[in-house]
Amino acid sequence: MNSLPVDLLLLSIATPLVAALAISLGMPLRLAKGLAAAAFAVPALIALFLWSRFAGETQHATYAFLSVYNTGLQAVGIHLSLGLNGISLPLFVLAGVVGLAAGLYAIQSNAERLKTYLVLLLVMQGGLMGVFASVDIFFFYFFHELALIPTFIMVGIWGGKDRNYAAMKMTIYLTLGAMLSLIGLIALYHKSGANSFDLIALRAALLEHGLKAAASKYIFGLLMFGFGILVSLWPFHTWAPLGYGAAPSSAAMLHAGVLKKFGLYGLVQIVLPLLPLGVAEWARPLALLAVVGNLLVIGFITIAQRDLKQMVGYSSVMHMGYAFLGIATFSVAGAGGVVLMMVAHGFSVALLFLLSTSIYHRTQTFDMTEMGGLAQKAPVMAAFFVAATMASIGLPGFANFWGELAIFVAAWQFSPLLTALSVTGVVISAIYGLRSAARVFFGPQTEAFAKVEATKPVTDLTCCEKLPALILIAALFFVGFWPRSISTQLNSAIEAIYHPSAAVQAPAATAK
Amino acid sequence: MTPTCIALITLLTPLVSAAIIALFLRKQGALSSTISTLAAAVVAAGALMLAFGGHRDASVNASVEWLRLGDFVLSLGIKFDDLAALMLSIVGVVGLAVHVFSLGYMHDDASKARFFGGLSIFMFSMIGIVLADNLLMIFIFWELVGFSSYVLINHYHEKASASDASKKAFIVNRVGDFGFLLGIIMCYWANGTVNLTELGHLGDTHALVYSRLIPLLLFCGAVGKSAQMPLQVWLPDAMEGPTPVSALIHAATMVAAGIYMLCRIQVLMVPDALTVIMWVGAITAFYAALCAITQSDIKKVLAYSTLSQLGYMVAAFGLGSLELVPDGKEGTLVVISAGVGAAMFHLTTHAFFKALLFLGSGSVIHGCHHEQDIFKMGGLKKKMPFTFVTFTIGVAAICGLPFLSGFFSKDAILHLAQENNKAVFAILALTAVLTAFYMVRMWKLTFLGQPRSHEAEHAHEGGLSMTAPLAVLAVLALVGGYAGHFFNIYGRAFQGVWSQIPFAEGAEPYVTSIVILVVGAGAALYFYKSAATDTLEDKAPAVFGFLSVVKGSPDAVYDWYVAKVQQRFAMLLEFLERIFLSGLIIRGIVSGTVGLIGIGARALHVGSLHAYVYWFLFGSALLWAYAAGWLF
Repeated sequence: MNSLPVDLLLLSIATPLVAALAISLGMPLRLAKGLAAAAFAVPALIALFLWSRFAGETQHATYAFLSVYNTGLQAVGIHLSLGLNGISLPLFVLAGVVGLAAGLYAIQSNAERLKTYLVLLLVMQGGLMGVFASVDIFFFYFFHELALIPTFIMVGIWGGKDRNYAAMKMTIYLTLGAMLSLIGLIALYHKSGANSFDLIALRAALLEHGLKAAASKYIFGLLMFGFGILVSLWPFHTWAPLGYGAAPSSAAMLHAGVLKKFGLYGLVQIVLPLLPLGVAEWARPLALLAVVGNLLVIGFITIAQRDLKQMVGYSSVMHMGYAFLGIATFSVAGAGGVVLMMVAHGFSVALLFLLSTSIYHRTQTFDMTEMGGLAQKAPVMAAFFVAATMASIGLPGFANFWGELAIFVAAWQFSPLLTALSVTGVVISAIYGLRSAARVFFGPQTEAFAKVEATKPVTDLTCCEKLPALILIAALFFVGFWPRSISTQLNSAIEAIYHPSAAVQAPAATAK
Repeated sequence: MTPTCIALITLLTPLVSAAIIALFLRKQGALSSTISTLAAAVVAAGALMLAFGGHRDASVNASVEWLRLGDFVLSLGIKFDDLAALMLSIVGVVGLAVHVFSLGYMHDDASKARFFGGLSIFMFSMIGIVLADNLLMIFIFWELVGFSSYVLINHYHEKASASDASKKAFIVNRVGDFGFLLGIIMCYWANGTVNLTELGHLGDTHALVYSRLIPLLLFCGAVGKSAQMPLQVWLPDAMEGPTPVSALIHAATMVAAGIYMLCRIQVLMVPDALTVIMWVGAITAFYAALCAITQSDIKKVLAYSTLSQLGYMVAAFGLGSLELVPDGKEGTLVVISAGVGAAMFHLTTHAFFKALLFLGSGSVIHGCHHEQDIFKMGGLKKKMPFTFVTFTIGVAAICGLPFLSGFFSKDAILHLAQENNKAVFAILALTAVLTAFYMVRMWKLTFLGQPRSHEAEHAHEGGLSMTAPLAVLAVLALVGGYAGHFFNIYGRAFQGVWSQIPFAEGAEPYVTSIVILVVGAGAALYFYKSAATDTLEDKAPAVFGFLSVVKGSPDAVYDWYVAKVQQRFAMLLEFLERIFLSGLIIRGIVSGTVGLIGIGARALHVGSLHAYVYWFLFGSALLWAYAAGWLF
C-alpha cells in the first residue's frame, strides 16, 4: 500500500516525540534548541514532500501512504493505521507548517524554563501530526488528547493574565467536549457493526448496512456538540478568548491554528459522510447557532474588544461560524470550503497570535488604546500585521478568501436568508480588523505608549521573529494564489466519500 | 506575440513590479519609482497595442478553471471587447500620466517605495477588473482595488485623519460589496453561470432568469465603489491620500469601475432596477454639487465634483431604456443600450479632465508647499502659468464649454434625460449650472486676484515630470470628446461603445450649454471676491450654513452610528456575554454536567505539571489495559 521506503507518516509523528524525550532527559540549552528546531522542521518537510507526491499515488478508498501497525489492541478493533486522503492532506501540511513556525518562534522567545516549554510543544506537535495522519478514529482521538494535555499545562505555567482561571476553564470545557465526542465515536463504532475503529472499514460497513435514523440522529447530536465545544461553537465558546488571551504565543498558535481544527476535521471527515440522516435533523439548528451566535453576536463582541489578543481570540471564534455554516450545508462545495477555510484560518490566526506577542514585547501591553503609531518605528511589523489582518478578513489573494467564498456559495442553496446574514460577516470583520490595525500601528502615538518607548526603545521585527512570520505569510499567499494546490485532491476525496444521495437511500432500504 | 499574451503581460507586469518592490526595494525609493513607472509604461503600451491593434474577443479571450468544489466552479479569464478595450486604454494612459507626475510630486517622500508599490498593485487590480470575463473574477479584483486604495489613502499613516479615512473607505466599500457578493451568488444559482459572455448568450436566447433583486444587489457594489448615495461618505475623506492617488484612483479609474461594472452586466437589467439606478445617480449628482459650493480645500471641491460626475454616469446608465419589443412570437425585453454609450462616454472624458484637474491641483499644492486652502491662494496665474492654462482647460471641459470633451459627453446625458425623464433632466441641468458655479469659484479664488499667503507668493512650477502629464491630459481633455459626432479621433477602435452614444442634433445643445455656462460661471465670477473669506458666508450666512449642514449631515449620521449605535450594541452584547453566558448559564450547565469532573479538575491544582502528566498517564494506562482485554 505504502509506496515509500520509510513510513514518513510515522516518522513525522515520532520525530517530535523522540526529540521531546531526548530533551527531557537532559542536555545543554543550545543543543536542545537545535534539536527542537530540527524536530519541528522534519514533520514540516515530510508534510510538504507528501503533498507534492500525493497526486501520483495509488489510492485505496481515497487514502494514500497507508500503513497499519499492530498495537496489541486488535481485540477491540484498534490498529495504528496511518494514511492521508484529500481531506486530511491539507490539514497535515497545515500542522507541519504552523508547527514549524510556532516552534521557531518559541525557540527564539527566551521563555523561562525554555527546555520544558519546548518539550511540551514537541509533544503537542507529535500529537497534531498524528491527528491528521490517523485513519483509525481511536488514534485520531488519542493523538488529540496527546496534544491537548500540553496545551493546558502551557497555559497554566507560561500563561499571562488570569492564567490559572483560564487553564481551568479550558480544561473543563475541552475535556467535556472531548468526552462527548468520545462517547459519540464509541457509539458510532458500536452501531456500525464494523467491529473496527478503522475509518475505511466503518465507512464500508455503514454503506452496506446503514444506520437507523434514530441512532444517526443522537450520535450526530453528540458529535456535533462534542466537536462543537472543541471548535468554540456558540454558546460553548467562552473558553476560547479567555484561554487564547492567557496562553503563551506558541501554544496559542498551535491550538488556535491547528488543534482546534480537530473538531471540524472530525465533522467533515467522519460525521458528515457517515451520518447523513443526522445532518438532515441537525443542520438547521447548527446553522442558526453558527450564523446568529458565532458570526453576528461574537462578531459584534469582537468589535468591542480593547485587548489585542482577546480580539484575535474572539475573531477566531467568529470565523468558526463560517465553518459550521459550511458543514450545515452538507454539500461538496460547503465541506470543501470548510477545509480550505480551516487551512487558511490556521495560518492566519497563528500569524496574528505571533504578531500580537511581538507587539506586546514592544508596547508592554495588549491594550490597544495604549498603543498607536507603532508603524513609524516598526514598518515591517506593520506590513505583516496588515497582511495578516487582510488575510483573516478574507481579502482575495490570501487563502481565507476561497474558503469563505465557497461556503457562501454553498450556503445560498441551503438558505438565502442565512447566507445574507453570514455575508454581513465580511463587513463586521473588516470593522474590527482594520480598527485594530489603526489603533496599534497608525495615527499618532498615545501618551502611554510614548512613556513605554522612553524606557525601552522600539525596534522593528528581528530576523528570528521574521522567519516564522514569513513562513506563514508565504503559505497564505501560496494557497491564495493557487487554491487548486489543495482543492483538486480535496474535491475528489469529498466527492468520493460523500455520495449524499446513495447514503441517504441505504437506511431506507434496510428499514423494510 | 499573441494578443492573449499581450493582455497577460499588461495584467501581470504591475504585479511583478509590486512584488519586487515589496520584497527587495523597501528602502530604495528611487529605484522603486523607476520600476513602477516602467511597469505603467508597459501597461500603457500593451493597452494601446491591444485597443488600436484591432484585437478583440476571439483572438484575446481565454479562460482557466481556478477552483472547483462540487458544483461550484470558479474560472479566471479575459473578455476583451470594445468596452474593455476602452476602459483598458483609459487606465493605461491616465495611469502612466499619474506615475510620471508622481515622480516629481513624491520626490522627497520618505516612503516612496511603499507609495509606488501601492500604485503598481492598484494597476494590477484595476486591469483585472477591466479584463475579467466573469463576475466572481470582477469581485476578486474589486476587493483588491479596495485594498490598494486603503494602502494609498493611508500613505501619511502617522496622521490620525489619514488612518481614519483609509479605514472608512475600506469598510464602506465592504458594505457595498456585501450586496455585490450576494448578487453574484444569486445570479450564479439562478442562471448557472456568472460568465459575462454566457450571460449574454442566455439573454439573446431569452433563457435568462430575470429578477429585480439580482441587478439591484449587484448595483450595491457600484454604489460602494463609485460612492453613490448613501455610501458616498468615504470619497471626500479619501482625499487624505497623496494627490496623484486622488487623480488616478479616486477620480479617473477605480471610482469609475462601478459604472464599468454596470455596463458589463446590462444584460441582467430590468426596468425597475434601471429606475432605481437612475434616481440614485441623479440625486447623488445634485447633492454632491451642493456640497462642493462651500468647500475651501481645493481637493475637497474636486472630490465632491467627482461624486457629482459619477452621479451623472450612474444616472446615464439608468436612463438607458429597455423596451418590450414584439420579437417574433411573444414580447421580450430588449435592451436599448443608449445608457451604456452615454455613461461610458462621460466616464472617458471625465477620466481625462478630472485627472487633469487633480494633477493640476497637485501641481498647485506642490507649488504652494502643501497649502490646500483656496482662500490662502490667489494670484497663481502669474506664478504658475503652465498649470493655470492646463487647469483652465480642465475647468472649461467640466463646465461643458462647447467643443471641449465634457461638452459632448454631458450633452449626450442631458439629451438622453430629456428624451426619457423630464424630472431627471431638470435635476441634471440644474446640477450642470451648479458645476459651472463651484468650479469657476475655485478657479477664480485659486488663480486670479492677488496672492493671499506667503505660500502663494512663493509658488513655483514643478519640473518636467509634472508639467508633461498635465500637457498630455490637457490635450485629451480638449479633443477627447470627438468620438463620432463631427469626427472620430479614436478611429474605429471603440465603435462598439461609441455607436451607442445618443448625440443630440441641431443647435439646441449649444444653446443649452451656453446658457448653463453663462448662468453658472457668470454668477460665480461676479459674486465671489478674491478675498480670504468665503463671500457666500459673508453675504448670505443662512445659505452657507444650510449648505454646510447638507454637506455635514451624512458624516454626522455615520459618526453617530459608529459611536452610538454600533459600539454601544457591541458593548452591550459583550456585557451580556460576560454576565449571563460566561458567568451563569453555560458555567451552570457545564459544571452541572461534569460536576464531579469539575471538582476533580479544581482539585488537580491547575498549573502543576506533574499532576496533569500523572493523571494522563494513569488514564491512558487504564484505557489501554481495558482495550487490550487485561481487565474484566
